[in-house]
Amino acid sequence: MMRLLYIETYKLFRQSRTYYAILGLLFIEAIVLLSAYYQGTEIIDIVLANLKDTFYFQGNLINGSLIIYFILNSFWFHVPLLCMIIVSGMLTTEYEEKTLQTVFMQPVVKWKYLLAKYIVASLFTVLLVLMLALTSFVLSYGIFGKGDLVVYTNGLTFFEHDDAFYRLVYAFLFGSLSLVFFSVVSLTFAVLFKESFKTWIVAALFLIVSTLLLKVDLGNEVWNQIAFFKLNNTWQYFFNGNIDWKAITINSVLLGFYTLVTMLVGLFIFQKKDIG
Amino acid sequence: MKRLGLLLLFLYATSGFCQTAEAQVSLVKSRLDSIESFLADIKLHVDISFIKMPDKEAQASFKKGEDVIITSQDFVLIPKRGLDLSFSELFEYPFMAIDRGKIEGQSGSLLSISILPSDTKADFSVANLHIDTQKQRITWAEINTKKDGTYTLQLSYPDSKAVLPTTLDVSFEMDRIRIPLNFAGSDVAIDRKKMRKTDQKTGKITLTLKYRSIEKTE
Repeated sequence: MMRLLYIETYKLFRQSRTYYAILGLLFIEAIVLLSAYYQGTEIIDIVLANLKDTFYFQGNLINGSLIIYFILNSFWFHVPLLCMIIVSGMLTTEYEEKTLQTVFMQPVVKWKYLLAKYIVASLFTVLLVLMLALTSFVLSYGIFGKGDLVVYTNGLTFFEHDDAFYRLVYAFLFGSLSLVFFSVVSLTFAVLFKESFKTWIVAALFLIVSTLLLKVDLGNEVWNQIAFFKLNNTWQYFFNGNIDWKAITINSVLLGFYTLVTMLVGLFIFQKKDIG
Repeated sequence: MKRLGLLLLFLYATSGFCQTAEAQVSLVKSRLDSIESFLADIKLHVDISFIKMPDKEAQASFKKGEDVIITSQDFVLIPKRGLDLSFSELFEYPFMAIDRGKIEGQSGSLLSISILPSDTKADFSVANLHIDTQKQRITWAEINTKKDGTYTLQLSYPDSKAVLPTTLDVSFEMDRIRIPLNFAGSDVAIDRKKMRKTDQKTGKITLTLKYRSIEKTE
């Protein structure tokens, strides 16, 4: 199994699309940083426009904490999309280039082979989040400095720098769970559809629908709590006044469960399916 | 003759009241005017339903004839009105003081007085004050400004001699914040009906002042 993991890691980092995706991620980050640098004050002015009639503001809200929060918002769509494209490519290219058939000429257990891909895909996703977190913390605080974070969640909530810092760190950590889920889903789609473009389209559609359903009220408290698409913004819970650790833990366990089930479904189908 | 006597008595009484109100305001004003400058550490507590903000610390400095300047290392919301502890805004232009009678306050009997500016340049239309006549200081004020709505001040003093308050509650009316929807987070539920109902809100900021220095003229 370790050998399979090593080989999969090697193959992942041999793919040029992996590096394109990493560059893409850094590009998104650069855009957020640049737009914050040039338009950040305008954004804050719009957000605080009503308060200007009543208050003077002392201090700077365009700071590293706010920029990292902006970058975190790319967790909704851009980062999962990139992850899904790279991860699904780990299997679809093997189908398309027929290397899969070559692999299974060797004494390799099918489910173990796919499991290695799932594990490497998950680790790679966590690595991407780590890289995004590290670069965004270093660049944002380096360029924009420290300061209080202001967020809008049914009202304006201000967090002092130290408080904001640890909330942002936790948000990245728990946000990575959601990204791992999307990566695992895309690899399962790759098992089902085999072709790159088909898989990308279905994966993108899945992501779009999940994002749209996030705001849909299912009319039942239990369903609103357990539906997978309601769990993908758990990282936002860290920006409520009091952190609801119980809800975060439940959501994380549920998301872990969905990830595991998706993985098992993929393994089962792959094991049964003809690789040709 | 009897009627004339009654009329004279009434005129004397009303003029006496007017003098009392103006005299009281004058006493308070002269005490406030004795403050040349002060430097204070302040703690700001924001009490607005749709803003959650931790208590902040700042420094306030004041020089006679100038506005209070507030500086802070943190991001702070400073109310545009209500920090004029010298109440210079009320007494800048000629005014009339009208006695509204005595009321019972927490610290005993207070005199309720309305200040009406007689000059149109004044920034306010009417100010209602509660003055502690024994300690010669303002304990409550409601100021109706021409541009910035109405705000009220509740002032608490550390002892019977203090001219400057150590706690100041500034209450004001404000519009509910309207955020463009694309700035709201994905999990933000927007209740439009509720938003419409609660367009106008009352906010309060409590300032706790700890004076480092107060310069006074005798």
